[in-house]
Amino acid sequence: MSELPHLHELFDRLRRGYHLSPEDEPMFSVVSANHEAYAAYFAPLGLKLVRHPREFFYFDPETAESVPETLPRIAVFSFILVDHAANDGRPIEDYLLNQHFLISKLPHFSLDRYATLLRQVEVEDAAGIRLVLKQMERLGWVKFVGDEEFRFLRPFHRVFDKCLELSAVGSSRDNETLSSESGQKLPGSAAVNE
Amino acid sequence: MKVSPQTFFNFCAAHVPLLRALQERVGELSEADARRLIRDSGKADDELPETTWRRLRELQILVPTEPGSDFYFLAPPVDRLLAYLLDEAKAATPEIIRGYIQSLEALGKQLSRAIDTDDLTVVRLALEEIQQTLRRIYADLDETHRAIMTEVARYKTERQTVSVRDKFRRIVHWMERYVNPMLDIVRTDGPMRATFDETERLLNRAREHGLFNDLPALERNLRHLRLVQRHSLRVFQQCRRELQPLYESLRRSSFIAEGAAVALERLRREGPDGWSERHAIGAYSLRWLHVPADNAIERALRNVVEHPPEPAPVLAMSGEDDIPAAYLHRLWLEALPDNVRNALPVQDLLGWVVSRYPERNTDDALAGFSRLVFHDEFSAKFTDGVSCTYETADGTLDAQPVELASA
Repeated sequence: MSELPHLHELFDRLRRGYHLSPEDEPMFSVVSANHEAYAAYFAPLGLKLVRHPREFFYFDPETAESVPETLPRIAVFSFILVDHAANDGRPIEDYLLNQHFLISKLPHFSLDRYATLLRQVEVEDAAGIRLVLKQMERLGWVKFVGDEEFRFLRPFHRVFDKCLELSAVGSSRDNETLSSESGQKLPGSAAVNE
Repeated sequence: MKVSPQTFFNFCAAHVPLLRALQERVGELSEADARRLIRDSGKADDELPETTWRRLRELQILVPTEPGSDFYFLAPPVDRLLAYLLDEAKAATPEIIRGYIQSLEALGKQLSRAIDTDDLTVVRLALEEIQQTLRRIYADLDETHRAIMTEVARYKTERQTVSVRDKFRRIVHWMERYVNPMLDIVRTDGPMRATFDETERLLNRAREHGLFNDLPALERNLRHLRLVQRHSLRVFQQCRRELQPLYESLRRSSFIAEGAAVALERLRREGPDGWSERHAIGAYSLRWLHVPADNAIERALRNVVEHPPEPAPVLAMSGEDDIPAAYLHRLWLEALPDNVRNALPVQDLLGWVVSRYPERNTDDALAGFSRLVFHDEFSAKFTDGVSCTYETADGTLDAQPVELASA
């Protein structure tokens, strides 16, 4: 166990809610190759190292001591972005994960409806949006490629997972709805009623 | 009424945009609708809209829904011709294909009876009809295939803003309305295969029957049967292969969009209280507290030693309980004239002051004395008497007596 590399740095990042993705080399490759060993190392401490199906790692938030107050802001910011992409008819995941975004071009203050929702979580202006993005960067969900420009990283899939969960709960869909990975069946009557 | 092909096609050639607009319009249209379409699609040469409208009816491009009706529709033969010319496929519904299959079943029974009774005429007619039905099935399946492919291409290239959920509903419609039922019909254990097998058996029986000798017609039908069967299964499997990835991608996107919309709507309706627990995406957080080092402890102690605590200033928020001495002194001075007025004339003013107010100190006695001496209502003058000594609360005064009288 003591031979596991990058343990100190890994723990230091993950304990802050960071998500380890392929951007974090060489640590990512090491953890990816020895996930079970790392998970076994942290397990006695009550920490569950999760390996997401999309291949990134994070500590299970269920075992966290507290819920940081920044998370609702991140959630509202992300949901607005998803809503905007959907209304534009864009393939949501492809659009959000394969594009670079400019802070000044974000849709969050383009509609009163979005601005009102943001105000509910105390995000008032572009400076507030920038702060949210910095917080997302600390979680490993976003990477800045300049002062104004950024892109979403693979762990942003956790937002999509949450959306799918809410959608399934909201419309009482069966679990088959959530299995978005390969091997999906053709639509049943439930899907037609969408 | 016969229509001259040349006149008809000349008119069509000059009015392509109008014909396209008429074909795109689904269902009946009123005269007003037709005239508006004529106006919107522009006129050929100098032709008046009225002339265009008249010729549309004369050439039987538009026909009334019933005799004398003011509502019209595009004549079905023209509709088919335009679809062919404009390469616009219209999907055949599964019900249409099922109708063909039922028709084949009925023809099969007819053929069977004709073979049994050696009725060669009915056999020939049935074979021709089977051939025709097979051609229609082939053509309709082909057109449905092209329509689905066009729709898929439209999804991939569409620029206009259509929400993900609307796209998903449309693709589900195509899957549910066309592809899946069609696959159910054409699959190897479906009704089409069963009917085709039976038809093939009857055709073989007719061939083996000595009386019917048009073997090329029989062979043609057999070939066509197999062709339609293979073709239908192939095209709908291809349709499914094309639609499936789109469907999966849109279904996932649609559900993601719905989840985000649900979360935002709940935030709008219920406010942020309690929203976070159910809607925020969790992230681990562990507080990390270090043991204080020696220099931190030393600094804390030094702070205490070098900056002993002192009480914070308190702001008096209520009025003072005691009457201020200055105020009382002032009141006393103000009351002196009234007090001395009853004793006028006073032969020795300072003596009067110190005897009347023995508790007053020297400052007060002199202040009272001055107040009375310089008061407007009184006049004061030194007497000729000898100098006297006056005792106050805190000392003595030596002074010549002063007499005070009304002014």
